[in-house]
Amino acid sequence: MNATIGLAGHTYLTYLATALQVLAVIVGAPFIVGGMRQVRARLEGRAGGGIGQPWRDLHKQLRKQQVTPQGTTVVFGFAPAVVAGTALLIAAILPLIALGSPLDPAADLFGVVGLLFLGTVALTLAGLDTGTAFGGMGSSREITIAALVEPTILLAVFALSVPGRSANLAAIVSATADNPGHLVSPGSLLAFVALAIVIIAETGRLPVDNPSTHLELTMIHEAMVLEYAGPRLALVEWASGMRLTVLLGLLANLFLPWGVAGADPSVLAILIGFVAITVKVAVLAGLLAAGEVFIAKLRYFRIPELLAGSFLLALLAVTASYFFATPTN
Amino acid sequence: MSLLLLVPIGAPLVAAALAAVLGWRRLTSSVTVLAALCILISGVILGFNHGSGVRFAIANLFRADALSITMLIVIGTVGTLATWASIGYIDAELTHGHTDARGAKLYGVLVPIFLAAMASAVLANNIGVMWVAIEATTVATAFLVGHRRTRAALEATWKYVVICSVGIALAFLGTVLLYFASLHAGASSGDALNIDVLLAHASQLDPAVTRLAAGLLLLGYGAKAGLVPFHTWLADAHSQAPAPVSALMSGVLLSVAFYALLRVKSVVDLAVGTGFLRTGLIIVGLLTLLIAASLLVVQTDFKRMLAYSSMENMGLVAVAAAAGTKLAIAALLLHVLAHGIAKTLVFLGSGQLQAAHDSTRISDVTGVLARSRMVGVTFLVGLAILLGLPPFAMFASELSISRALAGAGLEWVLGAALLFVVIAFAALVRNGSRMLLGPPDAGSPAITVPRSVGAALVTGVILSLVLGLTVGPLLELFQTAATLLGGTR
Amino acid sequence: MTQATYNGVLNLAAGAFLLAAVLIVWRRELRAIVGLLAWQGIALAAIPLTEGIYKHDAALIVVGVIVLLLRAVALPLLLIRAVGTEPHERRESTPLVNTTTSLLITAGLTVLAYAVTRPIIALDPSPATRAVPATFAVILIAVFVMVSRRRALSQAVGFMMLDNGIAATAFLITAGVPLIVELGASLDVMFAVLVLGLLTGHMRRTFGGTDLDQLRELRG
Repeated sequence: MNATIGLAGHTYLTYLATALQVLAVIVGAPFIVGGMRQVRARLEGRAGGGIGQPWRDLHKQLRKQQVTPQGTTVVFGFAPAVVAGTALLIAAILPLIALGSPLDPAADLFGVVGLLFLGTVALTLAGLDTGTAFGGMGSSREITIAALVEPTILLAVFALSVPGRSANLAAIVSATADNPGHLVSPGSLLAFVALAIVIIAETGRLPVDNPSTHLELTMIHEAMVLEYAGPRLALVEWASGMRLTVLLGLLANLFLPWGVAGADPSVLAILIGFVAITVKVAVLAGLLAAGEVFIAKLRYFRIPELLAGSFLLALLAVTASYFFATPTN
Repeated sequence: MSLLLLVPIGAPLVAAALAAVLGWRRLTSSVTVLAALCILISGVILGFNHGSGVRFAIANLFRADALSITMLIVIGTVGTLATWASIGYIDAELTHGHTDARGAKLYGVLVPIFLAAMASAVLANNIGVMWVAIEATTVATAFLVGHRRTRAALEATWKYVVICSVGIALAFLGTVLLYFASLHAGASSGDALNIDVLLAHASQLDPAVTRLAAGLLLLGYGAKAGLVPFHTWLADAHSQAPAPVSALMSGVLLSVAFYALLRVKSVVDLAVGTGFLRTGLIIVGLLTLLIAASLLVVQTDFKRMLAYSSMENMGLVAVAAAAGTKLAIAALLLHVLAHGIAKTLVFLGSGQLQAAHDSTRISDVTGVLARSRMVGVTFLVGLAILLGLPPFAMFASELSISRALAGAGLEWVLGAALLFVVIAFAALVRNGSRMLLGPPDAGSPAITVPRSVGAALVTGVILSLVLGLTVGPLLELFQTAATLLGGTR
Repeated sequence: MTQATYNGVLNLAAGAFLLAAVLIVWRRELRAIVGLLAWQGIALAAIPLTEGIYKHDAALIVVGVIVLLLRAVALPLLLIRAVGTEPHERRESTPLVNTTTSLLITAGLTVLAYAVTRPIIALDPSPATRAVPATFAVILIAVFVMVSRRRALSQAVGFMMLDNGIAATAFLITAGVPLIVELGASLDVMFAVLVLGLLTGHMRRTFGGTDLDQLRELRG
């Protein structure tokens, strides 16, 4: 595949596309979270709070007083900003609306995984920083899961990159768009399953972690952020929503790349891309929420089994992609 | 003449069919003995007529060269002795209520099928047919091992079936890979697995694939031959099976499995050179000797002791095959024949001891020589053969194997092997003398020997004496077989 | 059938084959494991069927149908019958190696299989032989399953998987070994499973259960 996407010569439209991408993620993330909650509520027979409820919560929290527990350091203070910052950066890098992002030379999959991990580590350290029992427990659980999740994401996306022979995410997406037949190969299918499992684990959804639980001993992500309040809490919640949105967007565009604007888009293509990604992410989020209604949370010691299995699937995906290369490649 | 090749397979099958229809009775058990005798006689006739050539039958599906004729003679001899003894053994079991009519009928059907399968394996020209035959022996002996229906017998059967099936499956994979290599070396798909075709194309077989195939075949057929690492079934299966079946399995089945390895070796050595399988067989053989000798020292059960002695002898045979010279292979074949007869003697004797004492613990059995001259003397003779004492044949064979190892430049292997053999020797002497010599304990039960068992024992002793004093016409047969296997010097 | 479809279906079959093996290592319920074995049998049968359709070889198609009936229907049925009706019999007791470690070992075995089968692909780089590493991996995984399980039935499933893997390798490499050998192999598999099934029944009557850890009498 050619690697000429993203070289010098970006038109201002690609900048527009990237800005639109970031803005969409910023504004849309709480709507995605709210939509998921609404789908769950409706399926469970409740009325639900409406799609806009997370925005209303954010608004309320932003107006509250900033409270910092005694004994915490700058880590506690900066962690929300780091998480939000990395999420925004990922939103700018990923080929969500258009392929030719200005950050493209840095946009290979290792960079994205590194940024994800940076956000996770920041929040983990913040949980430890509080010095409480629940914070420490949440942090240790989160890092155990991250240790198994990060290699799996790497392997799964790497498996997808083998047919295109480039680890650049835009190249992978356009390669898949050009050859849809690759999607039905064993490598892609296995990579899809593995990636789905680790996205669920990374973003703290059922069956790995219940985001709406109030039982502290079962928490993983929520336990780390128990001590946050006010604007910092708003930032943390928002960043979690953004991470969920960008990961769903990544999944959507890796496996359903149609509608993504090319390297040199027109305004119409950008609009089509925007609508396409919104629809895809919304549908995926709805399916995820609907699935959650039927699953129970796994006991914590069973989670490494699930993640080891997804790691194995990702490894199989890589080997399958390498060794099942067809002569008509 | 080529029809003679079918007799060793057809005769036992006829006996099996008869037993299936009529059940266990004097007629069917005698027909089985006759069938085993047919195997022996056809082997002898073929031996007189073979020259140094190879005889084929039925579209090159079967072959009879010096090596297969040797194995036929081994199968025939041990088979005749064992089936002869079975008559009295099973009748005694029926009288004592250890088995019922159904069990006896099953025995009567499975033993000749077992003999037919072994005969097919040594007469097959196609490696695939050889594989099918050896797998058939596993299936046939599975229920024979569990004949007694005790907890221990069930456990032994499970282990035997599972481990040997894994081994035979690996051997199948090796056979498939060899077929693959043979196809790519230019053989036609119909006879790519025929031994003569493989030998002809051996120099063109892809070395890497052949090495992979050889490794798998060594592991797989080694499992059936009781070699490390798939050896753990041997002691259990051979000790729990009824005595004549133990004699057949220890005396012949292990050797037939090793025969398969020898056939493979002749092809692989031409394809990748002698180094690969020589190293493999040395490692496997020495490890088998080590484990067998160590476990012989701590034995408390005499049937398991005899089973480990079989394992030790198979290890020695593997080491001899590793040397690969003419002398080594000829000595190996003599060793196999002598070992078969010796194991028959000791296992039949131990069967009677087990029947008398209803236990197989060494400590329970004392003063056998004083109590029963028949069992005592034949057990003593059998042990003497196994220990490699003159004037019996295993003395000559072990001496020749040592000379062959030294001549092939494997002195250190010889040293290690001799060390393990000496350890085994000491263990056998200690346990044997404890059982045979000295006065019997008070209250020891009388040892009865059914007539057919006694007849088989006496015949076996006479055969071993004859074999020990003169190898006779068999020597030329062994040497031809050794040349056929590509032995040099 | 075009070359591309042939490649795709063959790859998919081999991939599903390996995936079924991985899931057998993962799951613990005996009924689920036997069901996965049936799925693996279907994936196995797809290989000779695809080859037969692509090469217009009727014999291969017949062999494929026989394999489908035998390994996807008959043998799993035999095994299911041997699963006991007690609830405590339905599940595998804790295997000797815990699930997470088993899965990581399986990953290692897969990589090993790819390394070991390189000479085979080098000798004949056709689309069929390129799928051999997957089936070889299933063979290694099957041996691992047999070694690390406690229930007699799980060992029997492991043995069936071993046989499936070897048959798949044979089909891929050579489009079937000579018919007589394949027939002999299938019959022997049938006998072996019958024997294992009967033995499991015996075991339950004699030992009151099929936990292999109870087979401890013969030692030394």
